[in-house]
Amino acid sequence: MTVTDVPIATPSPVLAASRRRGRGFAPVLPALALVVVVFVIPVLALLLRSVLEPEPGLQNYAAFFASTTYLKVLGNTFLVAGTVTIATVLLGFPVAWFLAIAPSFWSRLLFAIVILSMWTNLLARTYAWMVLLQRTGIINRTLMDLGLISEPLPLINNLAGVTIGMTYIMLPFMILPLHATIRSIDPAIFQAAALCGASRWQAFTRVMLPLTASGIAAGALMVFVMSLGYFITPALLGGTSNMMLAELIAQLVQSLLDWGLAGAAALVLLVITLAIYMVQLRFFGFGQARS
Amino acid sequence: MSRTSRALGVAALALAAGLAGAAMAQSGSIVFTSWGGTTQDAQKKSWAVPFTKETGITVKQDGPTDYGKLKAMVESGNVSWDVVDVEADFAAAAAKDGLIEPIDFSIVKRDEIDPRFVTDHAVGSFYYSFVLGFNPASLKGKAPKSWADVFDTKAFPGKRTFYKWSAPGVLEIALLADGVAADKLYPLDLDRAFKKLDSIKKDIVWWGTGAQSQQLLASGEAPIGQFWNGRIFALQQSGEKVDLSWEQNLTAADMLVVPKGAKNKEAAMKFIAEATSPEGQASFATESGYAPVNVKSAALMPKDVAANLPDQHTGSQINLDMGYWAAHRDEIGKRWYAWQAE
Repeated sequence: MTVTDVPIATPSPVLAASRRRGRGFAPVLPALALVVVVFVIPVLALLLRSVLEPEPGLQNYAAFFASTTYLKVLGNTFLVAGTVTIATVLLGFPVAWFLAIAPSFWSRLLFAIVILSMWTNLLARTYAWMVLLQRTGIINRTLMDLGLISEPLPLINNLAGVTIGMTYIMLPFMILPLHATIRSIDPAIFQAAALCGASRWQAFTRVMLPLTASGIAAGALMVFVMSLGYFITPALLGGTSNMMLAELIAQLVQSLLDWGLAGAAALVLLVITLAIYMVQLRFFGFGQARS
Repeated sequence: MSRTSRALGVAALALAAGLAGAAMAQSGSIVFTSWGGTTQDAQKKSWAVPFTKETGITVKQDGPTDYGKLKAMVESGNVSWDVVDVEADFAAAAAKDGLIEPIDFSIVKRDEIDPRFVTDHAVGSFYYSFVLGFNPASLKGKAPKSWADVFDTKAFPGKRTFYKWSAPGVLEIALLADGVAADKLYPLDLDRAFKKLDSIKKDIVWWGTGAQSQQLLASGEAPIGQFWNGRIFALQQSGEKVDLSWEQNLTAADMLVVPKGAKNKEAAMKFIAEATSPEGQASFATESGYAPVNVKSAALMPKDVAANLPDQHTGSQINLDMGYWAAHRDEIGKRWYAWQAE
């Protein structure tokens, strides 16, 4: 699981103060110990296998990067994660904006829908998409009954299926941080922009976007990184020819029992993820608005 | 905040319950792991229930079988599975790699088992055929007969479905469809098999589990393909209008194995003895439509049921060569997954 940190637009003074005094760390220790025992140690053990099995050396990494298949899977992983990230930004932004400005009844209702969909079992949601997207599914049946298409559209077992399913599942992770950012913007700023003669478009590109950039970046990072390691949805909605890295790792672990190579693939994924995170930290801090 | 801590509390409870469950597995009970769905239901009814009645040992069901998990358990020395239903090629490879215990033939009666389906480390669970299954309604009433028909997308348009994992079956089917004689299948001509599969690759939907194969066929999502005969049988039993062709049906067995270091080894051997007994095999075959591995079972079964089992369709039956697969499992597997991802 990814521990998500919904960005705080302005750091709370209390938190900042306790951070300065170095307090507030002790309560974290049990969680930290748990993470070390159930996450860090097993991951290290798997990574060790990548340089020890079947014999000490870097042959697993050589094999990984020498294989056009594995590189293709890696490239495809980025393609899917990138597409999903862009789609969630485009779809999530209007929703987050609506959540922030709508009358409280509508915003609460929409918020509940977003949260409920996030809480629903992932497998159930993915199967629901199968029912919708398959050749004999609801979407294709309806379109064919309406005479709009004569052949079922290929919506599943391909890139389209993975993108649709994952975009839906990742949307809340974009909407929530964006919503927090947008809500913290003082609406008077837009009045000020209008008073200064900005058109609606200018107010959007020169006021709204810069002010929400940190929220977009935080959401995009979360969506992109989570997508990189996604397994269930691509496995069920994608085909084998657009496999993602997590599925490849599962194959190596479960079917081929080649844990050395699986460890190498896992490390490649981990290094890439951490590198992206570093870039994010460098430019945007912990998803907090730059003042 | 309180909501979060409550959620954590629930998670901790669930974890504790899981641990308690693991602790209970130590005494008076064994854990049996199989592939889930209609097959494991039949195994539970035919083997576990009578076994518990006779011995007082309870049988916990777990699943689905996961070779990675099995290996991890054996390596960590924390083996929570006692009897596992695995594919025969894996059983052979696992015996070689020291992942499974030798079978105790003072408990299991080796001379009653069809010699094709018993080794020093594994006893047949049941034997099945890969058959050509189809959904007549989605094929406009046309009935495919041979594996070549599955590769004929003109005569039988639509998606076709095959077993996703690297295992005996699909490559053989491709070669048979390409005209290779049944007695010339081995050693497999991999280049030729993949070339044949390439010709329909874009029309293939892979099934990873038996339940998925049933869903694909019954819904018409993939109206033709390769299936475990028992899964078609189960669909027919539940009233679905699906059919099958036994022509060149490919047989292999699932095997029962005991992971190295299993905590209840003796009880596990007793369970295998029960499962492979004439009665256990006859009852399971009646439930599942898979054939018994015990040579004395046929006499105990209703005639109309026995007529539908793979062992009645030996005319054009082909035995998948597990010896060949055990020797080439890794190399074929690598190539298989690379080809799938292309």
